[in-house]
Parts: sequence; structure tokens; C-alpha cells
Amino acid sequence: MIKRILFCFLIAGYFSSCTAVKEYEKVKINDPDMVLSTKGVDRFETNFQAYREAAAGANGGKTGGGCGCN
Amino acid sequence: MISTAVGFAQEGDSTATYKKRVLENTEVDFLASYYTQEGDNAAVSGGVGTEHLTNVTPTVVVSIPLNADDVLTIDGEVSAYTSASSSNINPFDGNKPADPFVASSGASSSDTWTNLTGTYSHSSDDRNNIWSAKLAVSTEYDYFSLGFGGSYTKLFNEKNTEVSINANVYLDNWKTIYPFELRPFENGGNGLNNSLFRSYNITGNQNYSPDFVALDKTNRNSYSLGLGFSQILSERLQGSLALDVVQQQGLLSTPFQRVYFKDVEDSFIQNFQLADDIERLPDNRFKIAVGGRLNYYINETFVLRSYYRYYTDDWGIRSNTASIEMPIKVGQKFTLYPSYRYYDQTAADYFAPYEEHLSTEEFYTSDYDLSEFNANQYGFGVTYTDIFTQFHLWQFGLKSIDVKYHYYERNTGLTANIIAAGFKFVLD
Repeated sequence: MIKRILFCFLIAGYFSSCTAVKEYEKVKINDPDMVLSTKGVDRFETNFQAYREAAAGANGGKTGGGCGCN
Repeated sequence: MISTAVGFAQEGDSTATYKKRVLENTEVDFLASYYTQEGDNAAVSGGVGTEHLTNVTPTVVVSIPLNADDVLTIDGEVSAYTSASSSNINPFDGNKPADPFVASSGASSSDTWTNLTGTYSHSSDDRNNIWSAKLAVSTEYDYFSLGFGGSYTKLFNEKNTEVSINANVYLDNWKTIYPFELRPFENGGNGLNNSLFRSYNITGNQNYSPDFVALDKTNRNSYSLGLGFSQILSERLQGSLALDVVQQQGLLSTPFQRVYFKDVEDSFIQNFQLADDIERLPDNRFKIAVGGRLNYYINETFVLRSYYRYYTDDWGIRSNTASIEMPIKVGQKFTLYPSYRYYDQTAADYFAPYEEHLSTEEFYTSDYDLSEFNANQYGFGVTYTDIFTQFHLWQFGLKSIDVKYHYYERNTGLTANIIAAGFKFVLD
């Protein structure tokens, strides 16, 4: 498991060495639907999943604690 | 000539000192959701019984720019629910025959969870370093939680790359509420002499004598550490990776969830089977979740948003989550959001269905949230955006409206519907 995680972050590091996209080239990246987080209205969906499912975390939502959920 | 030179000088100075505010104006989000679910595997009645539940969650989030660099966010949420299964903590209300498939009218049939979270964030002058601190308080009738945490985010590579680290601690405390028929068997209780058993006849095994030991812990501490990495991969593609590691200690079971053993004779009052015990789970749990997002800008109309997560913990649960959403822009102001999500998990080592546990086991639960299952979720949403904020409410201009609906179904039979809406206002 640890090896897999390290592998993922190594791959991520590889991509970070790509040529940088300039600010003036970020029109498409800055589209509101391209954000890498979830929208505020999506919090309720994430919350009910944290209650109804055993898995949580790595999605910007709850990871455990602070609620009566698992 | 001279005035032009002065003008250029002033422009040069202002460019040197100008700093775009992290948040231009105060923003207020009014959010709400309505959730309802149906199922026949209630954990309160040992894996058999109605799971009917409704939940309404009004929420207000206010983000206030304190200066050019600092933002204070106050998040207040109230979650009011009615639950048929929770009502059966005490199914003997005298109104109707006690039955795990019929809601009772007791005090536990509804409750309100209230949360207040304050987050303070500070950005460096070049906006490449962001610090934040968070304090959260939650309360429910049988539950209190104090949470705090912090995060640090670093942007570099011309803001193409972002790494972050966050840590959170939640200190939760439960007021232990046990199934009604077990309470007379707590240490010092009067057992079958209790008025419950004088008011109702026990059928099946009439010598009901559960070996019930009250829980010795009422606290739950959760410690989480998160790492994040995001990268712009091209003018149209960006992705992120997230890792969350969580250690939980203390009371990790729910005190009012019943378990029925197959090696113990069954006792009933009316149609309701009396508990053999409450669920028992280890007082430690270590979780790891790794997730990745990849978003691709197809063209001016379509964007593709994808997500995958792998989860594992030391209770034996492994899980996969994959989702896809395709925002579709319709004109200048509307965007449609069709989505699909798949989820699966293996069962916890301590899970078994109704009447399949043995009383000799150390840990046991019949909570189907810890069972093996897969789930499909279908969603659709609409967003209205007005960048000119033409509609006003007092001094606030309406920036956007979001409405989303999701239908969720498990292969265990549980189904859920959730509709959520959000209104974002910006102070003029």
C-alpha cells in the first residue's frame, strides 16, 4: 500500500516537471467547472455518503469525527 | 509632457504596490438539502427493520475578507432528522404493537445536529503560501464534538503546482443511550422486575436475561493527516492527488444498535425481538484513503470531471469509489450537471447479518453500513450564474443558484434521494 502511494506521488512529481502553463494560457483551466474541489452544494452529498458508507476521506469531506458517522 | 511622465511614474508605483485581494467582497452562501432513505436493514434493530429516515439541513456560510490577505469563514449548519430506526431505541410506546418495521413515537425518533465552524486563512503577498486554522463545535442530543485543525498550501512552478498538508483533531463525546429493554440489565438494574416486563408479556424465551455490560468509554478521538498535490498538466487538463490518514480511538460503536445471536434463544415483546447485546467494535481504527481527480476542458460547452478513490482500514474494509460528471454549458448563464458515481466496499471483519453472530465473539455488528455492498448513484444538477449580480437582496447581489438531485441505490436494498440547493450572494 505504502509503495502504491509513493508511486502515485512520484508520478505526480514527474508531471510537475512539465512545462508550466503561463497565466495568460489559463483561460480554460480557470473555468469554474475545472476546479479540483467540490462545490458548496455538494457537501450534503458527501456528508450522507460518510454516514452510509464505511469509506471516507480523500474527497475534501469528512474523514471521521465531528459527526455521528463512521 | 511632465504630467504624462508623472502619470507613468504613478502607474509604475501602483503596479509595484498593488495586491489583489484574496476575496474582494463578503460572500454569503445559503444552502439547504432534503434527504430521505428507505431500507429494511436497520442497525438499531439488529439488521432487520425499517431504515426510513428524512433529514433537512439548512446551512449558512459567510466569508468575510478581513484585509487583502486574510479571510474569515463562518459556517453554521443545522441538520434536523426524523428516523424510524432511531425511534425503535424504545419501540414500546404503547401506541402500536412494537415492531422493527414500524416507527415508534419516542423521543429518539427525531434529533438535531448543530455545527459551527470558523476558519481563518492567511495568504502571503505573492499568494504562493496559504495558511489556515479551523475550530469546529458540533452538538446533538447524545453527542458533542470539538474539532480543530490547520493547513498549509504552497504554490509554485508559476502556480501550476500546488502541495498542501492539513491536520485535524476531533474530540467527540457520546452520551450512551442503550436499547430500552437492555437498560434494566445494566449493573445495578432490576432486570425482569422492571416495569417494562411487568407491562408486557415476553414471548419465545420468557427467561430473558441478556449478559449486558455497559460501555466503559464514551469518548471518540479522531486524528487525521492529509496531503494534497495538484498539477496543471496542459491548457485543458489538470489533476490532483489526495491522501488522508486517520487514526480513531475510543467508542467507535453506536451504543443503541442491537445485535441478535444465533446461539441465544429469542425473546419477543409483541413483534419486536429483544436485544441480546449492543454492537461491540474495537476501540481503534486506522484508515487510509487515496484519491485522485482529473478534469478535462473539452470545449466551450463540455467539461469532463472524474474522480477515483481507494480506501482501506484495519477493520478489513476495502473500497473503491469512482465518479464522473460532465458539466454542459447552455447559454451564458446556465450549466447542467449530469453525474454518475459507483461505490463498493468489502465487509468489516466484525459484520454479520441478523442472527448470524455468536455470543462467544469479541466484536460484532449487524450495521449494514459496514457490510459488503456496492452502490450506484445518479445525479443531475443545474446552475444559474449571473456574473453581474443584477438581482439584489438588500445589499447583496445574487451571484449563482445551484440545484442538485441525486438518487442512490445499494444492492442491499437501501435507496436514498437527496436534493440540495445553494444561493450565493456577494456584498456590493
